[in-house]
Amino acid sequence: MDAVILGVAVVNGIVLGGLYGAIAIGLSLIFGVMRVINFAHGSFLMIGLFVPYWLWQLFKVNPYVSVLIAAPALFMLGYAVQAVLIAPLYRRERAMVLEPVSVLMLTAGVGLIMDNLTFMAFGPDFRGITLDFASKAFRFGDYLNINYTRLLAFQVSLGLTALLSLFLARTDLGRAIRSTAQNRDAAALCGINVMRIYNVTFGMGCAVLGVVGCLMIPFYPVSPSIGLAFGIRSFITVVLGGIGSIPGCILGGLVLGVVESVAAQFVTATSASIFSFVIFILVLFFRPTGLLGMKV
Amino acid sequence: MKRTNWVVASVVFGLTAWSVAAVAGEKVDEVKLGSVMSMSGGAANQGTQTKTGAIIAAEEINAKGGIPALGGAKIRLIFGDSQSKPDVGASETERIIQRENVPLMFGAYQSAVTTVTTEVAERYKTPWLVTGSVADIITQRGFKYTFRPNNKAVYDANEQLQAIKTLAQETGKGPKSIGVLVEGSDWGKSHAANLRKLAKDINYEIVFDEAYSPGTMDFSAQILKIKSKKPDAMIIAMYTPDHIVFTKQIYEGRLDIPFGIHSVGAGSEDPNFYKAVPPQAVEYMFVQEDFQIDITEVAPWTQAVDKKFREMLGYELTCYGAQGYSAIYTIYDVLQRAGSLDKEKIREAFVKTNITSGPALIMGWQKIAFDKDGQNVDAHGVISQNLRGKRTTVWPVTNRPKGIKPVWPVPAWKDR
Repeated sequence: MDAVILGVAVVNGIVLGGLYGAIAIGLSLIFGVMRVINFAHGSFLMIGLFVPYWLWQLFKVNPYVSVLIAAPALFMLGYAVQAVLIAPLYRRERAMVLEPVSVLMLTAGVGLIMDNLTFMAFGPDFRGITLDFASKAFRFGDYLNINYTRLLAFQVSLGLTALLSLFLARTDLGRAIRSTAQNRDAAALCGINVMRIYNVTFGMGCAVLGVVGCLMIPFYPVSPSIGLAFGIRSFITVVLGGIGSIPGCILGGLVLGVVESVAAQFVTATSASIFSFVIFILVLFFRPTGLLGMKV
Repeated sequence: MKRTNWVVASVVFGLTAWSVAAVAGEKVDEVKLGSVMSMSGGAANQGTQTKTGAIIAAEEINAKGGIPALGGAKIRLIFGDSQSKPDVGASETERIIQRENVPLMFGAYQSAVTTVTTEVAERYKTPWLVTGSVADIITQRGFKYTFRPNNKAVYDANEQLQAIKTLAQETGKGPKSIGVLVEGSDWGKSHAANLRKLAKDINYEIVFDEAYSPGTMDFSAQILKIKSKKPDAMIIAMYTPDHIVFTKQIYEGRLDIPFGIHSVGAGSEDPNFYKAVPPQAVEYMFVQEDFQIDITEVAPWTQAVDKKFREMLGYELTCYGAQGYSAIYTIYDVLQRAGSLDKEKIREAFVKTNITSGPALIMGWQKIAFDKDGQNVDAHGVISQNLRGKRTTVWPVTNRPKGIKPVWPVPAWKDR
């Protein structure tokens, strides 16, 4: 195998991996704090893709400007879903279990409803937008070309991760979120409004998808069923990196991206995903908390 | 004890009444035609188009007084959603056959789904008219109740290679090596297998041969590999979303394939595909079409169908729409000759089908007749090329409109 091609494969993998990581951040954050796997994660991403799509289609708003609308919109949507639908279940079950199964089912239901409502509204079509900017790329030699939009998505993903980590580490709200993640009851005893923290966390997890959606729409088509494709991969990314760890998410994404991209040069791309599952199993075996996960 | 008796009695009575009603209601004023179609999930788009075509045909027939041989019975279409999944398709088939008591079924677009739904239909001895699915195996299992009017995958592959050969002969320039990239489910894989077999016979070397998992976000790994293997022509089989991502990436990456990208149906026949990619990105791409794409110019009567289709879906008649339309008229022809809703009589009528004119041939075929495996051996598609933003038939040569000259080899990106 040619060294140049291998190098290019690694670069491609890194660029894609950063995005995998960013997609998974919301899932990790919500799971880390609420102990709930958000099955509607892919559906929120679908909404996150549709918002910039329609803003472009109807008002010609550049997708990168749409972030200013999509992120708050998704935050509010997530906040509302948590406050109106999930919170009552939590209140009912909080005394009994730490990881309420009914909430899990509820998120799956919310996902189905979101998918089908979008389906009823917009139909099954795959839609994409074409920006002039989107078809430009850095080209080095014959092999390496990095598309501007993908590169931007990668950079913003890293920036977003750094911002979010800083936010969780340094601000009062961030500390409150982390303490709720560590011990819900102790946090409540210290005067933290746990339910409000849950609302904010869910909202933030979804807001990230609003940002990611705006980054992806220039090169990725959207349809009401598109969320499905991202559910499982996000979950692997999160477990690989360490549940609840934001930098872990990006690391997990990068590992997945590079492994798939490099392996695809040796075997067919369908078999290449076997390697990511092998790594997934190995990590679960030898480091069950994930690459950057803390001991619980 | 007494209570149990009441329950049993009411159940027995209820069932009797229901089945009497079912039998009595059957022949009087309507024929229920069952269908399983992908109306949600990854292939929702094409499934919806086929459904729309079928509805247009059924409305036409009903408006003209239904099916004469069945006393003017009106057609009522019953659709089940496969959700683009084989297992759901199978259970929907079972439900429609058992609960709705339909005499025959049609569908289901995706080969992976149709392969299993036809199995269920075979078990219930219910005739199944295939729409859209091309996987060879569907009519190679010795099934008695499966009938396919459209191409088998092997025909598609053959047409693509024949078109390349024809263009090479016309110009004296042609590819020596071919790359193959297909989606990794039944349809893509069977297409790749056929290409391998046929390419060998006509001495094209396959230098790149891969399948990818549907729903792929990024083709850079595959494009990189294609660049290093340098095939002279590429044959691809993709559904809409993957085709959009792939097309955008080869355009960004300036992937030069001297004798063009040859896409087999599906994604590249979907109008949504052309809306989602820049027009420069698809210029000169060849498409293996399941029906004559310029049919409204060749056969003016189809313009009415096209108009109706546009009203319902907002874009021009597609091959999937035409398949649904053709299926209903084929069934109309079969029911006319069967003169009964008995499944065996319908099957016999299917076997004796010989349609040589009429709306069932909207696909551009000259004939629908089924061989012993239930395959229409007279099915064929056309190869078009994207020329100045319009798909124009270039193969077979007899179907090529006057004055059209295929661009061959295709210019490199830097020369466009």
